[in-house]
Amino acid sequence: MHWLHILAAALPFILGTRAHSTPVGVQPDLAIKYTPKGDTWTCLDGSATIPWKAVNDDYCDCKDGSDEPGTSACPNSIFYCSNVGHLGSVIPSSRVNDGLCEKECCDGSDEAPGVCPNVCESIGAEYRRIRDAERKLRKTGSKIRSSYIAYAKKEKTNLEAVIAASAQEIAMREKDVAHLQEIADRAESVSASALERKKNSPLYNSLITHSKALASLKREHDAAHERTKALEEILSSLREGYNPNYQDMAVLEAVRGWEHFAGIKPDGEETEGEEETQEDAEEELEEGMWSKERLESNELDNLLKTDHVGLLLAHDEFAEGGASNILFDVTSYLPDALLPTFTSLTATLVDTLSTLGLAHAPAASSGSSAAREAAKEAEHSLSLAREEKRSAEQEHAELFDVEGFGAEGEWKKLQGLCLDRVQGDYTYEVCLFDEARQKPNRGGSTFSLGKWVGWNDAPGVEVGSPEYYSKQRYEGGAKCWNGPNRSLQLLLTCGLENAITSVIELEKCEYQLEGTTPALCLPLGEAGKVKDEL
Amino acid sequence: MRLILSCSGALALTLLLPSTLALKTGDWKTCSQSGFCRRGRALSARAQAASSWTSPYSVDERSIELASDQAGLTAAVTSSLYPAIKFGLEVRVHEDGVVRVRMDEVDGLRKRYDEAASWALIAEPKISKDIQWTVGKKDVRAVYGPKKDIEVVVSFAPLRVVMLRGGKEQVVLNGQGLLHMEHFRTKHEASPAEEGDEAQTVVQVNPAAYFEGETEDAFWDESFGSWTDSKPKGPESLSVDITFPNHGHAYGIPQHATSLDLPTTTGDSPFFSDPYRLYNADVFEYLASSSMSLYGSIPLMHAHSADSTVAVFNAVGSETWIDLSHPTAKSTQTHWISESGILDIFILPGPTPDAIFAQYARLTGTPALPAHWSLGHHQCRWNYVSSDDVRTVQKRFDEDDIPVDVFWLDIEYADEHKYFMWDEKTFPDPIEMTNDVEALGRKMVVIVDPHLKRADNYPVYKSASELGVLVKPKSGEGEYEGWCWTGSSSWIDFFNPASWQWWINKFSTKAIAGEWTWTQSTDSIYIWNDMNEPSVFNGPEITMPKDNVHHGGWEHRDLHNINGMLLPNITAQGLVARSEIPKRPFVLTRSFYAGSQRFGAMWTGDNLGTWEHMAVGAPMVLANGIAGMSFAGSDVGGFFGNPERDMLVRWYQIGAFQPFFRAHAHIDTKRREPYLLEEPYKSIVRDILRLRYAMLPIWYTAFREASVTGIPVLRPHYVVFPRDEAGFSIDDQWFIGGSGLLVKPVTTKDATEASIYLAEDQVYYDYFTHHAHRGAAAGKHVTVSAQLHEIPLLVRGGSIVSTRERHRRSSTLMKHDPFTLRVALSKKSEARGELYLDDGETFAYQTGQIVWREFVAEQPKNTKGLRISSRDLAHAKPGEAVDGVALTSVSPSNPFAKSIESVRVEKIVVLGVSSKPKSVKTEGGAELQFTYTAGVPASGNKEGTASVLVIKDPGVAISKDWAIVLTA
Repeated sequence: MHWLHILAAALPFILGTRAHSTPVGVQPDLAIKYTPKGDTWTCLDGSATIPWKAVNDDYCDCKDGSDEPGTSACPNSIFYCSNVGHLGSVIPSSRVNDGLCEKECCDGSDEAPGVCPNVCESIGAEYRRIRDAERKLRKTGSKIRSSYIAYAKKEKTNLEAVIAASAQEIAMREKDVAHLQEIADRAESVSASALERKKNSPLYNSLITHSKALASLKREHDAAHERTKALEEILSSLREGYNPNYQDMAVLEAVRGWEHFAGIKPDGEETEGEEETQEDAEEELEEGMWSKERLESNELDNLLKTDHVGLLLAHDEFAEGGASNILFDVTSYLPDALLPTFTSLTATLVDTLSTLGLAHAPAASSGSSAAREAAKEAEHSLSLAREEKRSAEQEHAELFDVEGFGAEGEWKKLQGLCLDRVQGDYTYEVCLFDEARQKPNRGGSTFSLGKWVGWNDAPGVEVGSPEYYSKQRYEGGAKCWNGPNRSLQLLLTCGLENAITSVIELEKCEYQLEGTTPALCLPLGEAGKVKDEL
Repeated sequence: MRLILSCSGALALTLLLPSTLALKTGDWKTCSQSGFCRRGRALSARAQAASSWTSPYSVDERSIELASDQAGLTAAVTSSLYPAIKFGLEVRVHEDGVVRVRMDEVDGLRKRYDEAASWALIAEPKISKDIQWTVGKKDVRAVYGPKKDIEVVVSFAPLRVVMLRGGKEQVVLNGQGLLHMEHFRTKHEASPAEEGDEAQTVVQVNPAAYFEGETEDAFWDESFGSWTDSKPKGPESLSVDITFPNHGHAYGIPQHATSLDLPTTTGDSPFFSDPYRLYNADVFEYLASSSMSLYGSIPLMHAHSADSTVAVFNAVGSETWIDLSHPTAKSTQTHWISESGILDIFILPGPTPDAIFAQYARLTGTPALPAHWSLGHHQCRWNYVSSDDVRTVQKRFDEDDIPVDVFWLDIEYADEHKYFMWDEKTFPDPIEMTNDVEALGRKMVVIVDPHLKRADNYPVYKSASELGVLVKPKSGEGEYEGWCWTGSSSWIDFFNPASWQWWINKFSTKAIAGEWTWTQSTDSIYIWNDMNEPSVFNGPEITMPKDNVHHGGWEHRDLHNINGMLLPNITAQGLVARSEIPKRPFVLTRSFYAGSQRFGAMWTGDNLGTWEHMAVGAPMVLANGIAGMSFAGSDVGGFFGNPERDMLVRWYQIGAFQPFFRAHAHIDTKRREPYLLEEPYKSIVRDILRLRYAMLPIWYTAFREASVTGIPVLRPHYVVFPRDEAGFSIDDQWFIGGSGLLVKPVTTKDATEASIYLAEDQVYYDYFTHHAHRGAAAGKHVTVSAQLHEIPLLVRGGSIVSTRERHRRSSTLMKHDPFTLRVALSKKSEARGELYLDDGETFAYQTGQIVWREFVAEQPKNTKGLRISSRDLAHAKPGEAVDGVALTSVSPSNPFAKSIESVRVEKIVVLGVSSKPKSVKTEGGAELQFTYTAGVPASGNKEGTASVLVIKDPGVAISKDWAIVLTA
């Protein structure tokens, strides 16, 4: 016989002897509502009044299902199991009397008597064991977390010192700059026209043309290089990510062609062929010719940054035997107060002499150029100091940003920390608050899986809550073959180490990593609160 | 599609790639690209153009020989084109009146393939014992049938075979004179002299040219794309016209993405320009309306008119093209062009759709009774990526209390796609994973395809290679090597009997000495056979070269359409063999042929997530059903693409009303499991799934009936109302078995209401609102509300449907749940319904361990009351209860019946009683509690909400006899 028949038959007897006993499956806080009025009872939603004996008779009478807390008769009712020896729990009616012993109901009350043993003692013990272990973990973890917070505080002090120091330096540099600029301005007003004349030198013009040609060539070279790299990335990405379901043999041919071209074996290992290709490519260089590596080093950039005007003047000095013109150098010896008078005087003098063809004013002479250089250097130092201050200020501001390193700065310590995990043919690396990458273990290109964009943005998640910090998002990684840009979610829980524990690609090119970090080990008090809420 | 690829730094590169979301039509042949189809159509064109046209084929009357039992005759046939070539004709009449016509070349240079029927037929058909042939001067004929109204006539010159009923022509073979069996010939090597001398060629007279044409079009080799078919046997095609002079509608010949009532391909302004093609093919992103071939082929065609249904089953295994036209609205002409094989046509006399189903079932078998759980909700995706992923998916379903029975694993579970071999990195614990799923009463289905990776470390390939059971290349030596998921692959040749036991053993969960077996599996893992057309990525038309060689030396061209059926056949045997107490197998196949219904389920392949594909899935599933394959469905959500929320909801609605109900998605799509949906969509989908589960008794009962009678589970209008012209082209609404449920799923965006056609003067009740709609004898459309959460679903007056309305996580957990009976009274205040139950899993039902009930509601004589009763159909009709075994008796206390004797009816809902009853009692028992809501009665013509009587807990058992009496 079906146990519910037994139940239904037994109920009047139970109710008869103890008129106010609570029906099976009622949650404790609702127990008071399960009191008959005479022989009747009204559904909790008031939709109907039914005989008291129709409560738990395995037939659904109330729209809200409230008449069947102890059976599966109503689709929308909730069954409460008291689980004496452990914690009480609720399950939906769909799990009542379905032949399975629900782990939520360790007392076995969800099934017919005799179907499920009461395992609350062992379940309760296991629960407490796990809870204690978790508390211990949390306790130890929270100590590490405190050290992170302390680190952030120290960082704060450090940054404040940096800001103060750089403020002072800025003030000093500003003065220097003003002074040196004035000198340079004065010097240049004398020498500008002379420089124009020198610039007509065919040698100088040819140099400029060469330099421009070289710059243009480099630009084209860089562009071509970027295009090649982009194409190689497309082809590598095609090779690694092409979807055989498109059943397109043209794609397969393209992949094979690329493998041959790039000297990659189909199984991903590079062949010896590639080395041969490289050897073949290495021809003897003519003397003085630049090698490929040298061309791509920043030596070329430095060459292009050459100060041609300075060079022009240096050349003059070289050609004139290196003697300096006393007339222009005398400024160095003059006291500041006399300078304006002197410069206007010499300007007049030099102009006159020039007109007469007796003296050549060295346009942007070494004097004015050196002054300008000094001014520029001072300006540079100033901007460095300003930048130092700005970045320190920004860091300072971000240190306790709830949407960044947390209200206590507990994540600051982990900035830039790279965690990795080998999974299958790849190593997955996440540099926290920076970028995530996928590196093939057997050679091939590394793909970006996205840059840090923020914490858990799921609807309903409160900014700054533990749940908020349990997920880091990295987006905008390398594009997938016929798919989206790669992205990654890092799901974090409290743990003693900063580590990645699992990697899974739930959807194509969307990676879900699990990991642990002490930064999420809230002190026990808070953790307890969180637990109680759950 | 635009693919944007951004590189490091400022450089962004935009590429334009060719569109990938579209069919590459050029990958598959049109008729004009297929030599023999071209020849067939040219023949038809010459016949059309000729002022007079006579078939060159005739029977040599002196050669007629009647078999000793008289039911069969043989005769010699000659063609005036090639008088020296001999053909043999054989005509047999089966016990049930089916006429089988066979013709083959006799003593030819080579042998035509003649084994197609042996794969399709369930057994050698029984020959009639009471046929008397009368041999006349012009023909030989026989009259037979219970009413002696069927006549079959074989005319001599020209050869024609006609079936008549009541003197009216039903089916005519070679009535248009297009019969042509290209005989085997030797390749004519053109000499240089001939080649260079045009005058000489002109002088030569080709007496066959009027019929065959002047040129040898693609006789000896043929190219398509970069592939060349070497055609070592030369031309051997077969053309035959089949006319239905008195039938204006044709159905069947699945699988095509088109309407059930087949549109024309020839004649005046044909709907399709190409003939229907039967050539099993993995058509990537197939069109939602096309006569192109798809994954499976069943060469069965129904021809239908208001007073007659007939059918032809053309047992051919080679590529076949079928032209169809309606010379008048009341007639149908078809032209079947096959590449090779003998002529072997079965003419099914009908005269009703139900009779056709019985006749076809006797030939090829009925759909196997599926395991009960396999009618539940299947959740699939390419791919659940790890055993923990599977566990998480299960957990998420349960957290949201969404019912599901089966989790599926696509190809990524297998290490390098070596089927059976778990990828240990992601599925380290397959048995534990399956046990975790099984713990909730659920199953797993895992994919196993017929292509084997050619790798020495793959024991399945290695043993197949050693056993020599792989398909051979055209040389006939070695192993054919092609490209598929596994990279370089070879294909198992299941035509080789040596492969059968070997493959069956693969599924053993226990070790077998000297053999690799799947010990890393359990009895709860079932199988999905995909890519069995076969799909070959680098082959012509994405399949195998036609000149590949199978067991017995047959070319792949001869048996291509049959090939796909063999894998699920042997796989199903493997699943039965692996358990000590055998369990019913479940095998899903993509490719199929006539007879596939005996081995498992099919689905409509890789559909697209579009409204058009959702809509065309319905007639495709209906067409499969009438061709025997009832256990069919389309991927819910569409395989390709990311469906909008409303489309996904509608797709669950239509899926819940198809026999095979699986949600599936491509690897490039976003996950879309129901628990991921936001509200209100999640709750709507949960309600749809719960409705499907509530209705599992209806589905299971319908499957029992299909498994015995062959009548499909989904019944289109012409099947239920064969005389109602207005319903002959309806394929967007259908009945579920004999339950009386009529559904019209919504397949358009933003619909808010639907129009349902009612074919009879009967009351139909809205399943949900109980609104009484009135049909009319002349047919009538009624409008029902169809907001996104609403499914247009009616219950035909006169039906009693049984449901189980308790919510459970899986169907297995419903075994002891009580039933609700819905009594939908007819205009005459009557109703009946059936319920079939068994253990749902083993073959114990074949020994009579069943419960088969009939519920009847009727007015006791001279009263206005109502009596609702339950009687034991299994006891009354034991011989009709179970397919394949003639039970002589079924005990009401058989072990299964006893196991559910406490399962009760918890509620009876009666729609349409005319007034509140004075009392409701069990017969000879107590008064029952009931509630009555006044409303429209079943009788009369009032529209509006029907009266609803709800009897609470009548205290009767589902498996017992009882009666409940309502006193008016």
